[in-house]
This record gives sequence, structure tokens and C-alpha cells, in this order.
Amino acid sequence: MTILLLLVPLSLVLLGVAIWAFVWAVRRGQFDDLDTPAIDILREDAPPAAAKPPQESADAD
Amino acid sequence: MSVSQTALAPDDRRGVVRTGALASVCHHCGEALTAAGTVASGDHLFCCNGCAAAASWIQQAALEDYYRLRSVPAGRVDADAADFAGWDREVVLAEHSRIVPGGREITVLTDAMRCAACAWLVDRALHRIPGVLDAGANAVTGRIVVAWDPEKVALSALMSRLNALGYRPWLATGDAREQAQKQERRRWLIRLGVAGLGAIQAMMFAEALYLDTAGQMPLATRDFFRWITFLVSTPVVFYSGWPFLEGMWRELRGRRLGMDTLIASSTLLAYFASLVETVRGGPHVWYDAAVMFVLLLLVARMFEQRARRVASAQVDALARARPALATRERDDGRREQVALAELAVGDVVRVASGESVPADGVVLDHACGFDEALITGESVPVQRAPGATALAGSLCREQAARIRVTRVGNDTRLSQLTRLVEQAQGGRPALARVAERVASGFVLVLVPCALAVYAWWQQHDPARALEVTLALLVVSCPCALSLAIPTALTAAHGALARMGVLGLRGDALSALARVDRVVFDKTGTLSNGRPQLDTVGIFNGTDPDDALAIAAALERDSGHPLAHAFSDIHSDHRAEQLHSIPGHGIEARIGDAGWRLGRAEFAAGGEDDGALWLGRDGIAVARFTISEAMREDARAAVEALQAQGLQVELCSGDAHAPVRRFAAAIGIDTVRSRQTPEQKLTHVRDLQSRGDVVAMVGDGLNDAPVLAGADVSIAMAEGAALAQRAADFVVTSPSLLRIPEAIALARRTQVIVRQNLVWALGYNLLALPLAATGHVTPWIAAVGMALSSLLVTLNALRLGRRPVGGARP
Repeated sequence: MTILLLLVPLSLVLLGVAIWAFVWAVRRGQFDDLDTPAIDILREDAPPAAAKPPQESADAD
Repeated sequence: MSVSQTALAPDDRRGVVRTGALASVCHHCGEALTAAGTVASGDHLFCCNGCAAAASWIQQAALEDYYRLRSVPAGRVDADAADFAGWDREVVLAEHSRIVPGGREITVLTDAMRCAACAWLVDRALHRIPGVLDAGANAVTGRIVVAWDPEKVALSALMSRLNALGYRPWLATGDAREQAQKQERRRWLIRLGVAGLGAIQAMMFAEALYLDTAGQMPLATRDFFRWITFLVSTPVVFYSGWPFLEGMWRELRGRRLGMDTLIASSTLLAYFASLVETVRGGPHVWYDAAVMFVLLLLVARMFEQRARRVASAQVDALARARPALATRERDDGRREQVALAELAVGDVVRVASGESVPADGVVLDHACGFDEALITGESVPVQRAPGATALAGSLCREQAARIRVTRVGNDTRLSQLTRLVEQAQGGRPALARVAERVASGFVLVLVPCALAVYAWWQQHDPARALEVTLALLVVSCPCALSLAIPTALTAAHGALARMGVLGLRGDALSALARVDRVVFDKTGTLSNGRPQLDTVGIFNGTDPDDALAIAAALERDSGHPLAHAFSDIHSDHRAEQLHSIPGHGIEARIGDAGWRLGRAEFAAGGEDDGALWLGRDGIAVARFTISEAMREDARAAVEALQAQGLQVELCSGDAHAPVRRFAAAIGIDTVRSRQTPEQKLTHVRDLQSRGDVVAMVGDGLNDAPVLAGADVSIAMAEGAALAQRAADFVVTSPSLLRIPEAIALARRTQVIVRQNLVWALGYNLLALPLAATGHVTPWIAAVGMALSSLLVTLNALRLGRRPVGGARP
């Protein structure tokens, strides 16, 4: 039963880490939007070089 | 390419794409194309230049994936470039943005984002602009957060980009409020996370104690476990459970018994009784019951909050009425642009026609017309003589006004109104209040019950008295009851939003379920809102082109749906002193003649024949006939409504003959034509007095009063913003079939709410005697309560599924 004296505090440490990680994630805004990031990976890869922004003036209206 | 992509996408337009020709709808916004307005660009066809420009930018920026990823078509892009130059001013930035490392950050609102792909597109589009540090769009809340370097790029450039893509930005009500809302949301999330993790851990330790059924565990180990459980459950009870403790404090101070009191007292009783037992080594502890209770109830509260956030679109609409800047007249007569915060009582401001009034004030110089629909609900512009009060947020019509400011900032009527709407939102929907009342009555009965049970057990078996009382309190907690309605409403609103129908008021759903009569407006609702010019008849030797040009000039600024018919005609004329008389027509001065365009008796003193007449000083000059195409699925939608057992009516401001023809084509028997907005409203009131529950579907500016007067109002998204503000539901999807679907969903919601209520009440009434007679231990009570709540939630989530036939790929 003495193993409990090691395992129980260990579980408490893990609990502390889990809560810290959750609070950190919430503060970083990880849960603010759950929909948009999900579709990022669905997009076909485009070479970054080809993705040059078009000229602002060419399409202003 | 577009055809296969559109067909593959889980898209509400699928039906349209299948039935129509290959390119019968705009590639960007999905609206039906008309011969007159269609623009071809690249491989695709577009309904207007705005959509074409947006699509070509998306293509050039290699963001075409947007079309593949989206689940709802985009909104129509307004080709008019709005002027955002005022937003670059330091005073505006100071109020609405904050300084972050490397630049500033601002939160803007937009109502055009409809799905995650929109947010994705906005994200990418902003990131491509040099000088943008960070950008994040959230389609659920309609908010876009941009951090940018003011040295490298101006805010107005970013906002113009958003506008050109069809996401018109609006200033939020201020950075401080935005931040406060965000903090509040996050705090709730952390409370829930702590409760979830803590409760799982506490249950694990409790499990070790439960598994010791034979009582073989050494006392030291048992006490060790008990102290550890105490340690873990303390933050759950006092941090996560704080909203309930606070609620109890409020209720006790207000001398009433509510849900919070029951929740907090049960939790505290379980917690402190366990602590006492831990200290004195008694036979039982109930920490597990306390933490599970807090966790489950927090989940329930989160559901409720989400339901309320859906309704917040209304406050946002009010926020838009406030201009970013005001034009102040200095003592020397020169004008300067100042931020609203800088305005002081006594300043003189100038409001150009079409702009909103920045602060409450007194009209100077001459009488002016103001559109106060947003503030008073009055749809017809009101004339304000010099000396009369103009309200902040009203739109200045006709001509520019000078106003001496009398009230600023939070004192204005607009601010008061915003607060009222916020308060209304803080209140729960009527249905939820019913559950609250039932629950509150329940608590009142429960307290004497619990005391009696405790007294009885104290006499017969004192060792179990506390345990049985605790089990009774936990098992009888009406939390399934309080979950029953919010979960169903949230799930229903979510399903509606996915369908393309936004619910703006919490209560409207139950009214929608009871509807037995649907009244349609014609123009822009059953018809596609794109009237076309058919024939032009000329009198008194006028040149047809000239007559058309004058009519176009008159219509250009009227905002009437008929203006579409003339939108392609170039006109050099300038209409002055333009007045629009709802139900009759428009009058204005061009050159030295007075022109009228509208019904025959109004424009030319003739007999109303359904055509549009142009008259010069009362003499007929030209006669135009206008035709409208009906929406593709109008007939199907009307048939679906009739199949649901609803009476369908058509109520239009147009002339008898065309309305009757139109109604016959669509399958509606009950028709009223030539109705002014007042007559429409009277008609709806008549129907209501006969006991009918009336749903009004409209879109035009004239519909605002009747929309407000009907039991349920549904506005089409392309319609006037004003009509949407008066509406309970806004249909963002171009398909009319969404209306019968929404009614079906509302009816199913009522059924599910009723099921949930019956289950929650039945369960509590059944469990009460079992617990009182000592057949339920506190932990079984907690599990039973959890299962009951879970069942109610799962039942509500059934609403999120689409009905058979509408299954998505």
C-alpha cells in the first residue's frame, strides 16, 4: 500500500499540469474559434511563392 | 470547374445548381442571374461587378479553395466603395483599438460571415497584406480581430479590402467592452475545465473508497484518500462553483428561493458534511456528489449562455447606427471631423443626407426628415422642424441638417436603447422562465420535505439521517428541468443557423411553431427582387431615352426594389428635393420641373392600371411596365407550407392584375393587392384578432411595421437592413424552402421541449420517495441526476440532425 504514497501525489501533479495546460490554452485563445482552424488542413497546398497578393490598385472597386 | 466544385460542396445551393442551367446563379453569391446585370469574368458568370471583383481577387490571391470549403454561399458584394478614411484618425483608433507590440489591434464586426470558410478567407486575405501582424476571424461571433502596423499600412486600406470581399466592417462598441466579453467567456471556460478535471480526479479517489465494499481498507489509508479527495474537490466547489455560491447570496439577499440556492446549499452541505466526517472518521463522505453536481450544472449553464449569445446580433445592429466620426462646425464656420467622444453639449454638428446623427440634439435652420426606424420603430421618415429634437442613430434623409448637440455618449436615446436590448438578452427566454418558476416552486416544497425526512431518520436511524437527506436533496435537484429548455433552444438555433435561418430573438421559435397563417410580401420575397423593364410607352412626344433617364435619376436614390429595373440606365440628371411616398411613388425636382414616378393617379392623375407612370407637373409623360420573375423555389415553398396545414396569403403593394397573375402562378388563392404598409398592418391585426398566429415574410423597407406587428416575422437577407432589424428571423439562404423547414424544426423543438419537461419532472417525482425512504445513496443520486440530465441533453441534440431527405454528404 505504500506505493499509494507515490502514485497519489503523482496523480495530483499530473492534475496540476493538466489544469495549467488548459488554462494556458484558454488564455492563448485556443478555444475562441473551433471551426475555422479545422478547415485549414482541407485546403490544397499552394506554393507560397505563387501566392503573391494582387495589386491593391488593380481591384479597388 | 465551378460546376463540379459546387456540386461537391455540402452546399445549400445544390438544388438550384441541379435544376437550373449550368451557370444560372452567380459564382460568388449564388443569386439567380438576370440578363441585365450579369457580368462575365474568366470562366464564371457573376450577378454584379462587386461579386466579380471579389472573385477575381480571390483567384489572384490563390485562395480559390474558399469556393470548395464553404458550406453556404457568400453574400452579394456591394460594389460601392465605402469610405473608411475616417477610421485612420487618431481619435477613432484611441477609442476602438489598443496598442500591441509592433502596432495596434482592433476588433470589428461584420454580418456577412456565414460559415467557417468565410472566416478562413478573411484570415488569409488580411494576412496577405503587408503590414498586417495578425488576423483572426470568428464566423460564430461575426468578429474580426486585426493587428496591424500603422506605419506600414492604414486601417482604412484593410477595411476597404474586407468591404471589397463582401464583408463590410463596422466599428464595435468599443475596445473595453469587447475585451470584457472575451474575458468573461474565457473565465467560464476555465471554470468548466477546472471542474471537469477536478471532478474526474475526485471520482477516481472516491472509487477507491467505494470498491472497499468489505471494509478491509486500513483506516489510515482510508483517511489518506479522504483528505486527498477533500484537497481536489475544494477548488471545484469554491472556484468552479463560485457562480452558484454568488447566485445563492444574491437570492438570499433578495429573499427568494431559486435554483442557485438549492444547488449551492446542496453542494455546500455535501462538502462540509464530508469534511466533518473526514475529521471525525465517520462512515461516509460525499465529496463525489458535490463535485459531480458542480460539473454537471456548469455544463448546463454553458448551454444556456450559448443560446443567449445567438441573440446578440441585435445589439450589434444597434452598434452600427453610431457613426465613427462627427462633423463639427467651429465658431468661425469651418468644419472639422471629430470622434464621437470629443463631442460636447452645445457643439453644432453637420449631418449630411444619408448619414446617421451622432448625438441627440436640436435641429437648427430648417426642417429635415429623419428616419428613426431603428430607434422608435417608425418606418416613415419624420419631419423635424427647427427646434425639434433629432435622435442619435436616426438617419438624416433628403437634405443635410445642422444640429446643436444636447446629449452625448451614454445619455443618448440610442445608448439607452442598446442597454435595454442588452437587458432583454440578459433575461432568459419566456420558455426558460417557465422552467425556472416550476423549479423554484419545487425548491419551496423540497426544503420542508428534506427537513421532515431528516427529522424522521434522526428518530429512527440517526446514523443514516444526514446521508438520506443529502441523497434526497441531490436526487431531487431540478437541474434536468432547468436544462430541458435551454438545450433544446440552443440545438434548434444551431440547426437553424446551419440551414441558413438566423433567429434573432429567443422567444420567436415557440411562436413559429404555433403559426397557422403565413403572409407573404411579393417583391423581393416571392419574386426574386430583380424587376425588369418590359415596355416603355411615350406620351406627348417625349423622347423615350430621355424619359428613361429621368426615371432612372428618380429611382436611383429611392432604395425601392423597383430601382433595379432602372439600374442599368445611365442618367446625367440630378434629382433634388427627393421625397419617397410609400405606396405611391417618388417625387423630386429635376431642373425647373417637378417630376413624379409611381402609380397613375399619383404621377399623372390617371386611373391606376398597375403600370409605373412618369409625370411632369402632373401631366403623363411615359408609362413603364415592369415584370418580375418568381424565385425558383417559390412554388415548392408555398406547396410545402400548405402541406404543413398553413394558410398562405399574398399581400402586396403592387397593382391588382400583376399580383393576381403572380399568385396564380405560385398557387396562392388569398390575394390582397395595392396595400399600403398601414393596410398590411391592419390586415395582420385583423387576422390576429380572429385568433390566427401570423407569420409575415417580407423584405422591403415598407414592411418594417408589419414585420414588427406580426407574431413572427421573417425577413429575407437581401432585403433592407431596416426590415431585418424588425424581424425575428432572417433567412440568409437564397432558398425560400428554408421557411417551411424552419417551421417544421420549430414544431419539432416544441415536441422535444415537452418530452424533456415530462421526463425531468417525472424523474424527480419518482426519485423523491425512493430517496426519502433511504433506497438511494448520495452517489447513486448524483449519477442518477447526471444520467437524467444527459438524457435530456441528448434528446435536445436530436434537433441538430437534419430531417430525412435533407441529409448532407
